[in-house]
Amino acid sequence: MIVAERRFGNNQRRSKPAGQDIFFDYTLLFVVLFLLAFGLVMLYSASSYDASLHYEGDSAYFLKRQAISTVMGLVAMILVANIPYHFWERFAAIGVIISIVLIFLVMTPLGYEANGARRWIRILGFSIQPAEVAKLAIILFLASLICKMGRKTRSWKGFFTVLMVPAIIAVLVWQITENMSSAIIIFGIAVLMLYVSSPDYKRFILLGVVGVAVCVLAVFLIVKLSESQSASAVGVRGGRILAWLDPEAYASGKGFQTLQALYAIGSGGILGKGLGQSKQKLGFMPEAQNDMIFSIICEELGLFGAISILLMFLLLIWRFMVIANNATDLFGALLVVGVMGHIAIQVILNVAVVTNTIPNTGISLPFISYGGSSVMFLLAEIGLVLSVGRGIKLKDL
Amino acid sequence: MKRVINYNNTCSMRFFMENSKTFHRKKIVTIFFGSLAILLFLAGRLGYLMIFQSDYYTEKADELHERERSIKAARGRILDANGTVIADNKTVCTISVIHNQIKDPDKVVEVLSKELELSEDFVRKRVEKYSSIERIKSNVGKEKGDAIRAYNLDGVKVDEDYKRYYPYDTLASKVLGFTGGDNQGIIGLEVKYEEYLKGQEGMILTVTDARGVEIDAAGEERVESVPGNDLYISLDMNIQSYATQLAKQVMETKEAERVSILVMNPQNGEIMAMVDVPEFDLNNPYTLPEGTDTESLTEEQKQEKLNQMWRNGCINDTYEPGSTFKIITAAAGLEEGVVTPEDRFSCPGFIMVEDRRIRCHKTVGHGSQNFIEATMNSCNPVFITVGLRLGVEKYYHYFTQFGLKNKTGVDLPGEAGTIMHKMEDMKAVELATVSFGQSFQITPIQLATTVSSIINGGTRVTPHFAVMTADREGTEIKRFSYPASEHIVSEETSATMRMILEQVVESGSGKNGYVEGARVGGKTATSQTLPRGSGRYIASFLGFAPADDPQVLALAIVHTPQGTYYGSQVAAPVVRQLFENILPYLEKMDYN
Repeated sequence: MIVAERRFGNNQRRSKPAGQDIFFDYTLLFVVLFLLAFGLVMLYSASSYDASLHYEGDSAYFLKRQAISTVMGLVAMILVANIPYHFWERFAAIGVIISIVLIFLVMTPLGYEANGARRWIRILGFSIQPAEVAKLAIILFLASLICKMGRKTRSWKGFFTVLMVPAIIAVLVWQITENMSSAIIIFGIAVLMLYVSSPDYKRFILLGVVGVAVCVLAVFLIVKLSESQSASAVGVRGGRILAWLDPEAYASGKGFQTLQALYAIGSGGILGKGLGQSKQKLGFMPEAQNDMIFSIICEELGLFGAISILLMFLLLIWRFMVIANNATDLFGALLVVGVMGHIAIQVILNVAVVTNTIPNTGISLPFISYGGSSVMFLLAEIGLVLSVGRGIKLKDL
Repeated sequence: MKRVINYNNTCSMRFFMENSKTFHRKKIVTIFFGSLAILLFLAGRLGYLMIFQSDYYTEKADELHERERSIKAARGRILDANGTVIADNKTVCTISVIHNQIKDPDKVVEVLSKELELSEDFVRKRVEKYSSIERIKSNVGKEKGDAIRAYNLDGVKVDEDYKRYYPYDTLASKVLGFTGGDNQGIIGLEVKYEEYLKGQEGMILTVTDARGVEIDAAGEERVESVPGNDLYISLDMNIQSYATQLAKQVMETKEAERVSILVMNPQNGEIMAMVDVPEFDLNNPYTLPEGTDTESLTEEQKQEKLNQMWRNGCINDTYEPGSTFKIITAAAGLEEGVVTPEDRFSCPGFIMVEDRRIRCHKTVGHGSQNFIEATMNSCNPVFITVGLRLGVEKYYHYFTQFGLKNKTGVDLPGEAGTIMHKMEDMKAVELATVSFGQSFQITPIQLATTVSSIINGGTRVTPHFAVMTADREGTEIKRFSYPASEHIVSEETSATMRMILEQVVESGSGKNGYVEGARVGGKTATSQTLPRGSGRYIASFLGFAPADDPQVLALAIVHTPQGTYYGSQVAAPVVRQLFENILPYLEKMDYN
């Protein structure tokens, strides 16, 4: 792997004075740009019908807004990529505090509701999803904290100390912004960063086993409860679990979106219906341009297109691994691991939800789903990774 | 600040010095491979959904996206014995607008309100309504529809549809029946032969969005409709129309409640005319007769009135046949040998049956007479005697053998059954009354069919209309056949009966049925309706010709005539006039 990297690095070598040769990850940049461009095309395809109906015939309504966010995100990415990443370490604590404040602002009149959930705040005409800020803040904060704690993270006490802040933020995001998926992602990022910083495996395997056991038990209890009483006795989340197990039985309620996604995916077949030819986006699929955009990709581009996109994300994760492994210091490495965890978890959860592999929970597909805050903060994170990558000296590779 | 720099240093140092880089790296690599494993699993899941489950979900999705619009099938026509179309289809148009496709709403409003003679407000309201498709007017004539189509307006849809049309309005209304909103038969032949007439609906499969708006680019799949088969029936509109005229005439002059006339071929059961005035207008079957106070009626009462109006007295209602039934008693007696035409009887004007004194209609009595004369006189005591000679068991046996216990099987819905005493309840008095046609009820079609069978040589025929189905070009598709049971009476008895009945018309009570230059046989009847003593009578006459080889049989029944109520004076002339006209016509038509 390292040998391969060196060769790769050599190819990227710039005509700069010897010894100052630095690395820039063009592969990562290319993959990100490809995903952005592809995302805009698919976003237009998925949203044009809905947009022309609801925005006075402006079929490019969503495309335009997303394009503006993307450009702003790219500017942020370039800026961040050119600032040495240690610059941000001083904002680690303040970032967490800001994101907590923003989360609480959702409860004030500044917050507003869309698609039935109160997740956004609007400041000076810009709308932001605090959960997206919190993800970046947590990555920065934990990278810094873990470095400061050093070996202390290896004890049980350290273990829980590190997880405390992300746990609090996750609970806030879950309870206040009614966004369980973002809470899962925030906590997941924290666990992955802690996992990398500690040589121990047992603790994490234990955590994983407990986590899985709790999920299985919850599903088991919900199914039992619904059998002994009624489907309505298990609440909203319980209902989602039941709809997950048998979407067709809940076709008009909780299972509706999932079923529509399955129709889209299944009807796409191997080759797909062709770009722009989705039928499910014509008002059948709720959130076609949003959380469910992957199903439209499946319908239009088929298994081939869907797997190609998964490969692009895998390529992205691979580049994160390479950069993290070659980062000049632990702080940089942890930053990259955080971003890697963020994107990997989000892609996996999104695809899993769309294919009804796990119960439905609102989660967007990075770089492709519609969402301004999401794409801007993701690009800022990519900027961070590129900045870490720039610190790599080619001779270290 | 200083602390931060320190930590930075320690961070960096630890990363290199502690040889920890190895485990960090290892862990990062496990994250990558963990992600890889999960993504592989998800790719497998995608493969399962998109390859193995693809057909299932494609079908489900298509079901969701495709809308079916049916194309109505042209209903088969009904043609009479001469090939005259008596039930046809008229093309009508439905004009609708599709909100999303309208480009020039003002023009659409202007044109539609002008062409369809609707108020601008009415049309504008529909044009501006945000819906997938909005109907403006249905049942618009084809010419109007074509005119509107010629404007070529975007968003205006002209859909053609078929509507049943009956060129003869009221003629044979209770036989033909009519169709409902979906062109389905409601009563009469229309419902009886629904499966042949209706054809097969076609459909247009279109792809729509979630609101039901068609997507033009997706194209459409068309399955053409198959028109129904034409039905050829034995009814002859010339005879039907003449019979209807006669029925109306006698109803008017005798101020009768109802008049039924049945004309059939006694040899094969083909019905040539079936009149039951008052009839109704097939093109407006839901309009009650003029002068009906519809305002004060409840829905239920109105429906009751409609049902009453649609009733076909020839098959849906029973009556006491009276003296015409003596034909059956005579045939049974002759067949069993309990009486011969030469047998002599004496009528004192009444007959004692057990302790009952049953009067003859001629109270002074007919005196001495043979059986033929008794039939000519329609003498009750003689027929009671014949009935008693047969006995309950034998009489019941012939009643059953002649087919009177069963329905005739006529191809119209709702045929009423015979109302008859049970054999074990039948005593001498009941037998006596049945012998001259009272105390039980049958339908007119039953009487006509039974007499047909007795005079045609003993073959019980099935009365019917439908002859065959054919395609539009007249190529036969299916010829109907009907059950017939032979030898219900012997050929000899049949011949005797023809001879006796010819005598009845020639010089007996039926002489008003006599037609110059033709041999007509027949029998009159005058029956009092229940309850007795109400002064309400049913006058009827059953005639057939030629008497030696019957080709046509007619039964005229006048319900509740005012003034003279004797069958011989009210009903027999009707059949005579009918025969005077149709016998030459039938001869010309090669029926003879």
